[in-house]
Amino acid sequence: MMQSSYNISIAKHSRQLVSIKNFPLEENRITLLFGESGIGKSLIAKALYGILPPEELTVRIGNEPYETYCARNDVRELQTNSFFVFQEPSSHFNPLLTLRSQIQQVQAAGISIEPILKRLWETDDRRMLDSILNIYPKPYRPSGGEKQRLLLAMAFMKIERLINQTKLDARTLFVFDEPSGSLDDHFRNVVLSFLLDKFRTRKFTVLLITHDYSILSALEREAADLRHEIFYKELSMENNVLRCTDFVPDRYLNWLRAERSARFSEQPVSWNRPILRVSSSVEVFGRRLELSNESSCNQNCALELFPFSMAYLKAASGVGKTSFAKAMMGLVPSKHLHLQLKNVLLTEVTVKKYKEEQLWGKRMVMAFQHADEALNQNSNVEGTLTGLPVKMSAAEIRTIMKKLFGSNIEDTFLKTKVKYLSGGQKQKLNLLRCLVLDTDVLILDEPFNGLDFNSIVNVLSILKEKQREGKGILIISHNEEIFDAVISPDRVYYLHASPSTM
Amino acid sequence: MVPARKNITSMVQQRKEVRWLSFWLAGMTALWAWDALFLDPLSYELLQAAILNTFCGAIVAVAAALAAGWGTALVLYFFENGPRTYFFLPVLFIVNLLRSIPQIIGLLIGYMLLNFFMENGLMQFGAEQIFWMACVIGIMCSPEIIDLIGERIAYFKQSDYFHAMQCCGMKERRIINVEILWKSSSAHLVQKSVSLFGSAIFLQCSIGFIISVGLSNEVSLTNYPVSLGGLLAKLDSKQDILAIGSALINPSYLPHLFFQHLQGVSVAAIIVFTLLCVYHIADGLIHSYDL
Amino acid sequence: MNAATVPSIRSLLESDALRTILFNHFVSILFVTLVFVVLLAVGMEREKNEREQRHEVVGMMGALRNIDFNNPTQKSLFRETLDIYYQHSKARNDSVMQAIDAYRTEQYTNKVYKTGSAPRELSWQNVANLLGMYVNFIIVYLIALVVSYYATQALALYKFIQYKQQTSSYLIRALRQMRLSGETVRNGNNPFRQIERCAGFVLKACIKGGAALMLFAPAYIIVYSLKSTVASGEWLLMIVLAVASNGLLINYAQKFYALLFAESRKGYVETAVVKGWNNSYSWGTPDGIALRSLFHWKKKFPSHVLQHIYMNAHYQYIPTMKQYASFLITGLIVIEMALNIQGHLCYELLQDILYDRYEMALLIIWGIFIVVKGTELIVDAWFAYESAKYENRI
Repeated sequence: MMQSSYNISIAKHSRQLVSIKNFPLEENRITLLFGESGIGKSLIAKALYGILPPEELTVRIGNEPYETYCARNDVRELQTNSFFVFQEPSSHFNPLLTLRSQIQQVQAAGISIEPILKRLWETDDRRMLDSILNIYPKPYRPSGGEKQRLLLAMAFMKIERLINQTKLDARTLFVFDEPSGSLDDHFRNVVLSFLLDKFRTRKFTVLLITHDYSILSALEREAADLRHEIFYKELSMENNVLRCTDFVPDRYLNWLRAERSARFSEQPVSWNRPILRVSSSVEVFGRRLELSNESSCNQNCALELFPFSMAYLKAASGVGKTSFAKAMMGLVPSKHLHLQLKNVLLTEVTVKKYKEEQLWGKRMVMAFQHADEALNQNSNVEGTLTGLPVKMSAAEIRTIMKKLFGSNIEDTFLKTKVKYLSGGQKQKLNLLRCLVLDTDVLILDEPFNGLDFNSIVNVLSILKEKQREGKGILIISHNEEIFDAVISPDRVYYLHASPSTM
Repeated sequence: MVPARKNITSMVQQRKEVRWLSFWLAGMTALWAWDALFLDPLSYELLQAAILNTFCGAIVAVAAALAAGWGTALVLYFFENGPRTYFFLPVLFIVNLLRSIPQIIGLLIGYMLLNFFMENGLMQFGAEQIFWMACVIGIMCSPEIIDLIGERIAYFKQSDYFHAMQCCGMKERRIINVEILWKSSSAHLVQKSVSLFGSAIFLQCSIGFIISVGLSNEVSLTNYPVSLGGLLAKLDSKQDILAIGSALINPSYLPHLFFQHLQGVSVAAIIVFTLLCVYHIADGLIHSYDL
Repeated sequence: MNAATVPSIRSLLESDALRTILFNHFVSILFVTLVFVVLLAVGMEREKNEREQRHEVVGMMGALRNIDFNNPTQKSLFRETLDIYYQHSKARNDSVMQAIDAYRTEQYTNKVYKTGSAPRELSWQNVANLLGMYVNFIIVYLIALVVSYYATQALALYKFIQYKQQTSSYLIRALRQMRLSGETVRNGNNPFRQIERCAGFVLKACIKGGAALMLFAPAYIIVYSLKSTVASGEWLLMIVLAVASNGLLINYAQKFYALLFAESRKGYVETAVVKGWNNSYSWGTPDGIALRSLFHWKKKFPSHVLQHIYMNAHYQYIPTMKQYASFLITGLIVIEMALNIQGHLCYELLQDILYDRYEMALLIIWGIFIVVKGTELIVDAWFAYESAKYENRI
């Protein structure tokens, strides 16, 4: 029988990366693990799965050195029967092998990939699937969502193999690390229902790591019968000690209900002139992206952002939400762009000098989705805010910092290098860099990336404050449930790629 | 996360570059002390001058490579991304041309030019010669710095890093020079400089050796500052090195190497030992800084 | 890979990327060739003028055989005679006297006369001689390039596997054995076994250290520690030196190792592990690495994650070959020049520089430039082909 809790310690050179006592993991159950990014969720999962590099990290599980743990028969059996779906699917495919040959490498004899792919793509079009499988993976092709589903397909091959296996007490550990990170809500639900179907057929151990709290609503709908077999846990750091505590789904679900009712009780404010107006169609990287205010996308419309308001831009994964936002900011070349910012018209021919002097950081700002990429890892917290056209006083910056980080800001924190911050802290710093600027328009790309539930609540309250100051905020996010609850449906825009340019 | 405790012992144990730097310093000090005791005073003086000239030359070469590389890389970047794109291709063409010339050929051409200037009284013999020759080495090595800086900028431009800072109102010059090159690439540049220091030592010794052996009709040790390569090319040094082979065949001859053949053996040891240590220091830096 | 997915070279040749590469290289070759032709023409013209002037003076000297120019009286008499006969050409008379003085000085100072080396100019005969040396140079270069391409990868893979095995250095192992022997003595047993092992490790450390020193040593140090001269026919020695000395092999093995190391941290390696591919780096075990696979020309590690790592590292190593070629040529030039190997291209180059035969030197430098450019062109085309394949363009 698999032990239900582990003491895990992971260090690199003399730096402790993770140290946790009594990390719970129930065998043949589903465990959902929440917690801010960078706190150590993936490392713990990899340690338990036995795939951390011993030559780079010093790992101990229980009282055993890692080599001993990995050499254990039950751990080897676990590795043979299971699969690990890593986050960031793009980097988890070998760029020099076709996707087909990579799928064929999964050791799941006798299991056909085709029915799995058909279910995950909700299609019977074999040619379409072939066209994906025959290519070498590149960052832009297939899309992030497709790569995510391909990795999930590999896991489902192993699950099928396990179901066909006669040995009933085989040790398993299927880790799904941010499986919905690149999926929209629809395909997230497809994957989830597929996983739950298989789990109902045969029980196996699942560790599902996620920041996607809307998965709780989906489970409430789809897995009522498995209530006693699903555990919700949260990793958090308290006084420099890492703890794993129970997460109560109702905390999120009740908050969501409260947000929804708050939106309905708000008085609608109408403004004559938008602060920002973007043409209904823009061509970016050879793809024509069109805007619509209805989910069926039958009729195109311009995007209008009013002062004191928040708008929400939705699209399926891989359509090009971020590219569209970059085109709006004039960061990437585009065609047919007409952006009216108050009384200034910006197009694709607007010169860089004008954007540098008048637009970026002065009238419009954008927070990027991956804080790890957007911030200088070698700079310190204080240094991240230098070189910006900031108009806020140091005291004002401290106040907003305090709100974001939820504690007193000490000098040692300001001198800490960004690379030593947790993923959640990085994301807050990433947002802070934009929030300290006095711009009319804020574009926030996946603002809740890597944040735990408490931080999400904090960030949202700061955004509402900005909104009350008269700023226009455009949100780009796949976190549909939260933003649908917060933003009025008439401020929701749907982005789709014109079929002729797909 | 707990930052690493830093004390000298743990640094020497954990960091390969510190270990090898200590090893190099210890080795050089031991060699210097041995030579001070057993090498004849004239050769000892010559050896000291050769070490000083070669190492100073290598430092100047690295500085020249850094300056030329950094400058050219920025010129290339701003020509490519600025309004004057028509200047980009000619500059790139010249850089590519420089890359296609084997370094030693470049040095020979540089040597010919310097010789011409000296013969015509445009340049002084002595330290100035070492300085300009080191500059030529630096220029021949600069494509490595240009490539490194170009790669670093391209790496950050590929990710959201560049755009994220740009749209927050940060100036492009600051993003390139401060955020990308100073804050995020200094470890890469230090590592590259160390490895270029090794290349500069090798090239200086080789050109010194070739000039002394092959072009000795024009250049003698009286008008060309003594370098490790030049000193090695002296007939007595050659004899000393040849003795190493004899000692390998006849081990009883080994002790003679440390007393009778000290000049050539010392020079050879300094060159090889320095190149070995510099390689390991550069390798250690890669691991320490996760480059 | 099935036949349908084999990338076609024709479609690659039609691609813009390759065309741009080819265009850039050809423009570069053309530009340098033009510069060299101009320099050559200027040099030859200057040489021709000097030769004519020298003929004039030599002819004059022949006609004036009875005058002793060492005698100041006879010399000034000759000058006065000139002034009488050519009263209105004072400047011309001055230059005639200067030419005579220069000719006579050259008899004493010219390196060619001093060393007995034959004066050599750009003639078909000399160019043909150079061509022979050039072909030899290219053959040695190509063999060294192929051998080092193979050797750098084998060495880097060996180092990478050792890193993965977490093997301690021989000296540390020797120290451990010494400590063990101390414990054995304290326990009242014979420490012979540990001392024997310790000595073995020390010996291995010495051999490894010696080999490392050799890999870093410039070629001339290695050669002069073995022999005093190198004959022109010692091709094997040249190839071995070109590959293994001057730090070339070790530095490029390090570059390949760095690529292996970087690739080993990529996500796809983790995916390969969870797919069930072997991840052990022990020598010879069923789930480990066979030592002999390191020495194969085409390195393959079936069902082992190293296969993924190797193929990605190798792909990225291809462009490094351009830089490598340039350094290899530098190494070859250093060897031929420093070791004074007569009858070799770079020795000739050195001689031509020494004796101011700049036309010949220019021709040799141009030839070397073409070798480097040729290598760059082939490497770029190879990389463009591979890239086009992996980027789904062909």
